Amino acid sequence: MSAALRLSGVCKRFGGIVVADEIELELERGQILGLIGPNGAGKTSLFNIVSGVVAADAGDIRIGGESVAGRTVHERARMGIVRTWQNMRLFHSMTVLENMVLAPREYAGESLVRLWFRPATVARADADACERALAILGRMGLAHLAGHGVVDLPYGQQKLIGLARALMNDGPCLLLDEPMAGVEGQAYETMKAVVREEAAAGRAVCVVEHNISFIKDLCTSAVFMSAGRILERGAIAELLASKTLAELYFGA
Amino acid sequence: MEYVYSILILVGIYIVLASSFNLIIGTAGLVSIAHPIFFALGAYTAGVLAIHLHLDPFSATAAGAAVAGAFSLMISLPSLRVSGDYLLITSIGFQLGLLQVIKNLELTGSQGGLNNIPTPVAGPERGWIFSAIALAAAAAAVLLIRRIVRGSYGRAIRAMRDDELAFVALGRNAKHIKIVIFAVGCALAGVAGAIYAFYFQYVSPEQFEILASGTMLTMVVVGGMGSTWGPVVGAVLLLALPQAITFLRLPLAYMAPLQGMIFTLLVILFLFLRPQGLVAPEPPAPLSPPAR
Repeated sequence: MSAALRLSGVCKRFGGIVVADEIELELERGQILGLIGPNGAGKTSLFNIVSGVVAADAGDIRIGGESVAGRTVHERARMGIVRTWQNMRLFHSMTVLENMVLAPREYAGESLVRLWFRPATVARADADACERALAILGRMGLAHLAGHGVVDLPYGQQKLIGLARALMNDGPCLLLDEPMAGVEGQAYETMKAVVREEAAAGRAVCVVEHNISFIKDLCTSAVFMSAGRILERGAIAELLASKTLAELYFGA
Repeated sequence: MEYVYSILILVGIYIVLASSFNLIIGTAGLVSIAHPIFFALGAYTAGVLAIHLHLDPFSATAAGAAVAGAFSLMISLPSLRVSGDYLLITSIGFQLGLLQVIKNLELTGSQGGLNNIPTPVAGPERGWIFSAIALAAAAAAVLLIRRIVRGSYGRAIRAMRDDELAFVALGRNAKHIKIVIFAVGCALAGVAGAIYAFYFQYVSPEQFEILASGTMLTMVVVGGMGSTWGPVVGAVLLLALPQAITFLRLPLAYMAPLQGMIFTLLVILFLFLRPQGLVAPEPPAPLSPPAR
C-alpha cells in the first residue's frame, strides 16, 4: 500500500527566501511524525504547500498514491488531507456543532440543486454528520458544548474543537499545526489521547509543535527543519540528542 | 387608481431588487454595487425580444433572467480573485462600462432608451394584473431567498463569510457558492427588469446609473443587511417616502435633490446608529442533533 502522504523534491521560495528546499517526506498510516525546528524553518509553509494554500515551485506530492498536482485546496481536502491551524480559524459566528457539521469530506447541503430536489438526502446527511460530530465530541468529553458558540469557549477548548472539526474529515492524512500552543491541563491530556487514538485507528498524523515534551510523548519519529531544509530525521530520542540541532534550535 | 397600481408595481419590483441585492451583498458578503445593471439587462433583453422577435412575455422574462444570470459571471469570476474594496471598484467599472455599451447600441435604443415595448395586457384590468404579477414575483423571490439562506446552504455561506480559507481547507467549494449566489441574485434582478419593461413599456439608460445603486443600497442598509425581511421593509419604506414628500407640495425643483439628501442622510444615520438596520437578521435555524 502506498504511503498516506509522500513528498518528493518539493521546493518553494518567496523571492530570496527559501521555505522548502528539496523536501522528501513520507508519512505512513498509523504513524505520528513530529515536524520540529526553529521559527521560520518552513514547517507551517510545508503544511500550506501540502494543503494547496501555497503552490509549490517544483516537486511531487501524493495523497494515498494519487498526485495532487493541479488540485485546489478544497479538492485536496476531499482527497483526504485535513489540517488544523495555529490560530484555529473556527467559524466564529457559529456553534461547535455547526462548525463540525460543515467539515466532512462531502457536505450534501453545498449544492442548491440537491437542496431543492433531494431535501431528504441533505437532511439525512446533516443528521449523520451531527451524530458523528457528537461521537467525536464525546470522546473528548465535550459533548455538552455542542450547542455553544465557539467564541464563548476558553482557548484550550477552542483548540480541541479545531481538532474535532478536522476529525470530521475521514481522510488518511491529518496535519496538526501547533496543537498544543496555549493548551494546558485537561485539554492537553485530551489532545494527546485523541491524536494517539487517531493514529492507532490508521490515520497518518504530522505534528508541527514547539512543545518538545508533547513531541517526545507522542511521536515515534521526527524530522528537523531549518531554513526550508530537512537537516535530520529519525527516532525522536536520537534527534533530540543531536548537538547540531540543539545549537540551531536553542542557539546554545 | 392607476397611481396606486404603479406604486404597488414598483414596490413589488423593488422588493425583488433589494432582496436579491441583499443576498449578494448582505448574506454572502460580496461587495458589488452593480445590481442595477442586471436589472437593466433583464429589462432590455425582455424589451428587445418582445419588440423585434415578438416573443411572449413569459419567454422574454425567462430570457431576461437568463441573460442577467449569464452576465453575472463577469462579476463573479473576478470576485474569486478580488474581494472587498477591489471587487467594489470592479463592479462599478462593470456597471458603467456596460451602461456605455447600452447607450451606444442601436438595438437598445441608444441614449434615448427603448420605446414602444408591447404590453401583454391592455384595458382597464392592466393595472391590477400587473400589480398582482409584481407582488407575486416579490413573494416568490423572498421565499426563494429565504430557502437559500436558511438551513444547510446558508450555513455554508455563513462559514465562508467567517473564514474563507478555513472553509475551503475543509473541502468546501467557496468558488462555486459565490458563482451560484451571484447568478441567482442577478437572475432575480433580471426578472424584476422584465416586469418593469412590460409595465412601463419604456426603458432608459439613466435609470440604471450609480444613483440606482445608491437607492438599492439604501433599501438594504435601512431595512437590514443580511436579514430576509429587512430589504422588504426597506423597499416599501423608501418607495413610500418620496410619495409622502409630494404631499408637502414643495416646488418641483426642490424635490429631486431633497430626496437624494434624505436617502444619503438615512444611510449615514443608520450606519452610525443602527448598523443592523430596522430588521435585524433572524438567527439561523438551530442545528440540533437528531433525536433518537
